Amino acid sequence: MTLTRERINEFIGIQSERTEGPDKVCPQMIRHWCEVMEDNNPLYQEEEYARNSEYGEVIAPPMQVQVYTMSPIWPKAQREPNMMEKFVAELAEHGYTSIVATEQGQEYFEPMKVGDQISYQISVDKVSPEKQTARGPGYFVTFLYEFTNQRNEVVCKQTFTILAYNAISNE
Amino acid sequence: MNTTNVSSTVTWDEVDVGYQLPVHEREITAALIVGGAISATHDYAEVHHDYHAARKAGADNVFMNILTTNGLIGKYLTDWAGPTAKLKSITLRLAVPNYPGDVMTMSGKVSEKYEKDGEHLVEVEFGGKNSLGYHASGKAVVALERRKS
Repeated sequence: MTLTRERINEFIGIQSERTEGPDKVCPQMIRHWCEVMEDNNPLYQEEEYARNSEYGEVIAPPMQVQVYTMSPIWPKAQREPNMMEKFVAELAEHGYTSIVATEQGQEYFEPMKVGDQISYQISVDKVSPEKQTARGPGYFVTFLYEFTNQRNEVVCKQTFTILAYNAISNE
Repeated sequence: MNTTNVSSTVTWDEVDVGYQLPVHEREITAALIVGGAISATHDYAEVHHDYHAARKAGADNVFMNILTTNGLIGKYLTDWAGPTAKLKSITLRLAVPNYPGDVMTMSGKVSEKYEKDGEHLVEVEFGGKNSLGYHASGKAVVALERRKS
């Protein structure tokens, strides 16, 4: 059974519920991020420097916003799957089981401070026609995210594009 | 902690369109790829930590996730501009993967310089290239400080 455009369109433009991330912004996750990136920006970890900055305290790297909302590998989230998850499952049912991210755009607004609770809403924005790629046939799917804090201020607007494809295995 | 970058602030006044950012090289280790996925960004997708899963997905080896690439680009920009610079946006497109054992060379060029809402902005076109070609390319907007008179 092929995936029809009519079926694809059923997933587009439906905003998810606002979902809270599992962890609040914290120095530990900031440190783990900076450790791997080798980012020594003093705004992220040096309290004295940050206190004298325009923020008055440490901020998290803006690029880290999505990390505070990543679903844990265990336990599985006890909520209705959002349209991204439903569409990824639909693609998998049709054989497009492999996923690779191809584009990400982040626009930053409010800074993230220790103790902030980051939430997100997501929708499927657009889906390409089926394309023949070097990795196998697949669809490019773009999602829109909006990340907010506990004061309902926008922290980041993000576009995220994946290729969901039927892989030509190397094994 | 290393604080040497505190003093290295770049001001809006000293950059013009065409200005080249310093080139930065980053070794792509397995620790960076797997640590970037699991520790830094909580991304448990198998292709970023399981060799055989990556091979089945058509890749040659485990490969860097996009959130780590984005983090490295953000670091590249504020390492250059200094901590008083403000990241306004980063838009990146991935091409070839970053595999363990490679080196990614990051470069950038100021492509626009303008004022908006009282901020002094530059747009930077950046690229991250490894032995296979361009891993990432895109544009970022950064607000810079004015020179103190």
